[in-house]
Amino acid sequence: MSGRSASGSPYAPHTDAETAAMLDAIGVSDEEALFDIPDAVRFDGSFDIPARSEQAARAEVAATLGRNDDLVEFLGRGHYDHYVPSVVDHLSDRSEFITSYTQYQPEVAQGFLQALFEFQSMLVELTGLGLANCSMYDAATALGEAATLAARLRSVSGTRVLVPDLLHDGRRSVLENYVTGTDLAVETYPTDDANVDSETLRESVDESVAMVYAENPTVRGTVEENLDTVGTLADDHDALFTLGTDIVALGVLEEPASVGADVVVGDGSALGLPSAYGFGLGLFACRDDREFLRQVPGRLVGASEDDTGRRAYTLTLQTREQHIRRERATSNICSNQAWVALRTAMHAAYLGPDGLVELANDCVRRAQETAARLDALSGVQAPVHDRHHFREFVAQVDQPAETVASDLESEGYAVHAVDDHEVQVCVTETNEPALDGFIEAFAEVTR
Amino acid sequence: MSQQDPVERASEDEEPLHFEQASWQTSEETYEPLLSEKGTSEVTVESPLPDDLTRDSVELPEVEEPELARHYTRLSEMNYGVESGPFPLGSCTMKYNPKFTEDLAARPDASVHPDRSEQASQGTLQVLHELQGYLADIGGMDAVTLQPPAGAAGEFTGILIAKAYHEANGDDRSEVIVPESAHGTNFASAAMAGYDVVSLPSDENGRVDTEALDAALSEETAALMLTNPNTLGLFERDIEEIADMVHDVGGLLYYDGANLNALLGRARPGDMGFDVMHYNVHKTFATPHGGGGPGAGPVGVVEELREFLPDPHIREEGDTYERYTPERTIGKVHGYDGNWLVLLKAHAYITRLGDSGLTDASAKAVLNANYLAEQIDYEIPFGPFHHEFVASAGEQDAADAAKRMLDFGVHPPTTKWPEIVPEALMTEPTEIESKRTLDQLAAAFDAAKSSSGETLADAPNRTAVGRIDQTEAARNPRLSWQALDE
Amino acid sequence: MSFEIRDDCRYRESHEWAHPNGVVRVGITDFAQDELGDVVFVELPREGDTLSQGEEFGVIESIKAVSDLYAPVSGEVAAVNERLFDEPELVNESPFEDGWMLEIEPDDPDLDTLLSAGEYRDQTE
Repeated sequence: MSGRSASGSPYAPHTDAETAAMLDAIGVSDEEALFDIPDAVRFDGSFDIPARSEQAARAEVAATLGRNDDLVEFLGRGHYDHYVPSVVDHLSDRSEFITSYTQYQPEVAQGFLQALFEFQSMLVELTGLGLANCSMYDAATALGEAATLAARLRSVSGTRVLVPDLLHDGRRSVLENYVTGTDLAVETYPTDDANVDSETLRESVDESVAMVYAENPTVRGTVEENLDTVGTLADDHDALFTLGTDIVALGVLEEPASVGADVVVGDGSALGLPSAYGFGLGLFACRDDREFLRQVPGRLVGASEDDTGRRAYTLTLQTREQHIRRERATSNICSNQAWVALRTAMHAAYLGPDGLVELANDCVRRAQETAARLDALSGVQAPVHDRHHFREFVAQVDQPAETVASDLESEGYAVHAVDDHEVQVCVTETNEPALDGFIEAFAEVTR
Repeated sequence: MSQQDPVERASEDEEPLHFEQASWQTSEETYEPLLSEKGTSEVTVESPLPDDLTRDSVELPEVEEPELARHYTRLSEMNYGVESGPFPLGSCTMKYNPKFTEDLAARPDASVHPDRSEQASQGTLQVLHELQGYLADIGGMDAVTLQPPAGAAGEFTGILIAKAYHEANGDDRSEVIVPESAHGTNFASAAMAGYDVVSLPSDENGRVDTEALDAALSEETAALMLTNPNTLGLFERDIEEIADMVHDVGGLLYYDGANLNALLGRARPGDMGFDVMHYNVHKTFATPHGGGGPGAGPVGVVEELREFLPDPHIREEGDTYERYTPERTIGKVHGYDGNWLVLLKAHAYITRLGDSGLTDASAKAVLNANYLAEQIDYEIPFGPFHHEFVASAGEQDAADAAKRMLDFGVHPPTTKWPEIVPEALMTEPTEIESKRTLDQLAAAFDAAKSSSGETLADAPNRTAVGRIDQTEAARNPRLSWQALDE
Repeated sequence: MSFEIRDDCRYRESHEWAHPNGVVRVGITDFAQDELGDVVFVELPREGDTLSQGEEFGVIESIKAVSDLYAPVSGEVAAVNERLFDEPELVNESPFEDGWMLEIEPDDPDLDTLLSAGEYRDQTE
C-alpha cells in the first residue's frame, strides 16, 4: 500500500504517482480542476465524520449493535425467523453473486439468471399459478402491486379493494400509498374469530369490486377456512382474488390456485433470511393468461437459446418495465430483492419437498402445543381463536398485555401486545429451545 | 484468454436446473448433459391439519447439501461481479463492496425483529439515527427517512411527500416535470403518485433547456425531478436559476441521487436549492447490488417537508432513540423500516471512510472517468463530465460493441441510453479502478471499436453462452421449468 | 433500402395503413415494422369497441420498444386479427397481408383525410 495518501478512500487504489500520471494525461494540474461546479454552490464545510481503520469502524458499529438487548423473540405477525443453514450464507455471499448487477448482459449472468429462473419455478409449483416474477421488495409492496395490477386489467372493472379488518397496519398503509395513482379505494371487510366473515363479505362483493384480499395464515396466526368462498365470490363478480401468504406456509396450506386465487403475494424471506428488522422478500405470482403476462410488475427471467441453440436464460418482456415504458410501466420497480430471492431459492432447495412439508407441519404443531401449555396457566387463555394455527397464536391474559410484554422483556423474552389483554406468540425452531424457560417466565409474569 | 471451441464450451458451462436430472451423453466430440428428465420428487402432504385445509402434494427439487453447494458454485462461475473484473456500467456506480460490512450484517445482534420494543432495539435505532444524520449532512438536507427499499421507492416516497405538501397548502397540482434523459423510474414513480408527466428536452449542450423549462412550468407543476451531474455527467451550471424558476411557480425541486458519487464533499443538493432527494446507497455507499437488489433509497427533505416523512421516523430523546409518527406523515412505503441490512452496510461504509475518504472517493471517481475518456477512441460528444461520460459507438451498434467487450473479460458500459447520444456507451468506472485496469478497459473499448461488423454481430464468443435470442424469449415466454416443454 | 407502399391504401403519418373494402382494414406499414424490429406482441381492442380517428387503439411491442397504434378512421371494430396474439411475427413478415390488425366499420367511408400513397412515400424518404 506504499505511495498512497493516508487520508484517501481505502477502496481507491491510486498511488500518488499514478494520480499524477493520470492528471498529466488528462492535462490538468489537480483533481479539483475536473469539477465543473460554480463557486456559489460549492460546499467547503465538513461532515465531521472521522475516517477510521477497518478495525475501528467494525468495532464501533459492532459496539452500537451490541446495544440491542439479548432477547429470545417470540415475534412474528408477518416477519418470521427460521433457521437458515450455513450453506445458504456461504453460497449467496460468493462475490460473483452478491456483487453482480441486474442481468442486462445475460451472457455473463447465466448463473444468477438460472437461480432466479429456479426461484420462479418454485413459486409456480408452490402456488399452482403459472407465472411468478423474480421479486418485489416485501409483502406489503407486493400487495400494493397486486392492487395496481387489478386496476390495469381490462377483465376487472371495479374500483373497490377489499381487505380484512385485521390487516397489518404496515401493509394497509403501503397499499393505500400504492393506489394513489389509480381510481381504487381501499375498504375493510370484517372478520369473524380471525377468519373471513363470509356472510358479510358476500353482501359487500359486487361488480364494483376490483380486488378481494385475504391472508392464509392470517396476521393472528389462524389458518383461513373460507378461501373457497372468497375465490368464488371474486370470480362471480370479475374481481381479482389476491391471497397473502408466506413461503413456508405454502408447503402445507391449501394450494392458492385450488381455491381460485388469481394473485399470490407475501413474504419469501421466511426462508433464506433471519428476522432482520423487516428486511424481507416480496413474493408475486399470478395467473399466466396473456393479459396477466403483459401487466405483471417486476422482472421476469425466461428461457431462450443462444446462437448455438443451447438453452440460455435472459430477462424478458422488459417492455413492461420502467426503463422502456416509463410513465406507462406496470410498476416503477427497478432494483428488487434478487439476492434475497437467491437465498430463498437456496434454502427451499436445501429443504426439498420433504423438508419443507416437515417445517410447515412443525409450524402447526408448535403453535398448537405452545398454546396448550400457556392455556394451562391460570389467568391465561390460549389460543383466543377457536381455529387451527400456523406458527403463532393470540393468548388472552388477565393483566394488561403491555405489562405482560414488558415484564417478559425483563425476563429476556419478547412477545407482541396486540390488544388490551391479548398477547401474540410465535414459535419456530429458532426459539423452541428456549420454550421451557419462556413458559416458566410467562407463568411468573401472569401470576 | 484463448478462443474456445464451441463444443468444448458447451460441455463446460451447462448446468442443469435443480428440477432436472442430467444424464450424460458422450462421444468423441461431445460431453454434455441431457436435461429432459425430471429431478424433482413429489411428496404427499400429511399434516396435523384437516385435509380440507391442506394441499395434496408438493413437488420440488430434491438435492443434498454437497450437490446444492456444487450447483450454486457452478452457477456463480457463470456470473460476472465487481470482483470478476472492471465493471464500468454507467449510472450504476459499481463500487467494490467492503467485506467487513458483510461481517457486521451477519452478526446475530444485527438481526432483530422490528416489533420488539424500542428499549430493546437501541443498537438498531442508533445505527439508523446516525445514518439519518450522515445522509442529511452529505446531502445538505434537514431530515432523512431510511424507509424506501430502493431508489425507485425513494422517488415514489419523495413525490408522495411533495404531493402531501401541496395538498396541505390546499394546492392541488397535476404535473411533474422530468427531463427526457432521466432514468425511467422518474417517469414511472411520478405516475404512480398520480401525476401527469411532462417531458423536458435537453438543450444543445446536453443540459436543461431553461427556455423549455420556463414553458413547461406552471401553477400545475408539483415538482421538477433532476439529477446533477446529469445523465451525461455534466453539472447543471444553471441549477440556482432552475431552482428559482421552479420555486417561483410554487413547485418543489427533486434530486435523483443516482449521480451523487460525483459530488461527495464538494457540493450538496440542499445547497443548490433542492427540496427533496433520494440517495442510492447501493451506488454511492458501496452496498452490494446483489444481482439486481436489494438496494435502499433513503429520502432527504428540507425542514418544511419534515412533518410529511414516512411513519415512523427516528429521533433521539435524551440518550435513547425512539420512533415517532411525523405529524402529517404520508404513511408507509415499506411494511417495516426498509432494507435494514443494506442500511447497516451503508452506515459501516460511511463510518470507515469519513469525510476524507468520501471526498477522495468522488475525486478518484471523476479522475478515473476523465482518464479513461482520454484513452479511448470512441467520440464523446458532451463535456466537461464528472464521474461518468457517454461515448458514441458511431456507426456501430452500441449493443454489439458491448457484446464484443465481453470477449475481452471486461463488463461493458450501459448501452443505448441516454438517447441524446447516438449509440450511447455510458461509462462510469468509479474510484475503485487503478490506472492499469483503466488502461485494460481502454484497450477493450478500442478493440471493440476496431472490430468488423461481422465480428461484432457474432460476439460474444468467450462467454458461458453465446448471443441470446431475445426475440424468441419474448415471443414464446417460458418463465419456469414447468413451461419448458411448451 | 426501399419499403413497400401500396397504392390502394391510405396512410397516417404515424405509419398505419387503411385499406377500404366495405370495411376498412388497418395495419402498420412495411417501413414501420422495419423500424420496430422483431415484433413480439400486439395488443388490440375488442370487437364491438368504438374508435375515433386518431385515438389509440392498441400497442405494438418489439424487444426494445413500445409504440402506440392510432386509428386511421372513426368507427366500430368489426374484426381483430387474433392470429397476431400467437404469431406477432406476421407483422414483420407480411405487414399488408397476414399482419393486418383490425377491420373497422367506418362512420364515414371517405378516407380523404388520410395521406395518399404518394404523400406517405414522400414522408418516409
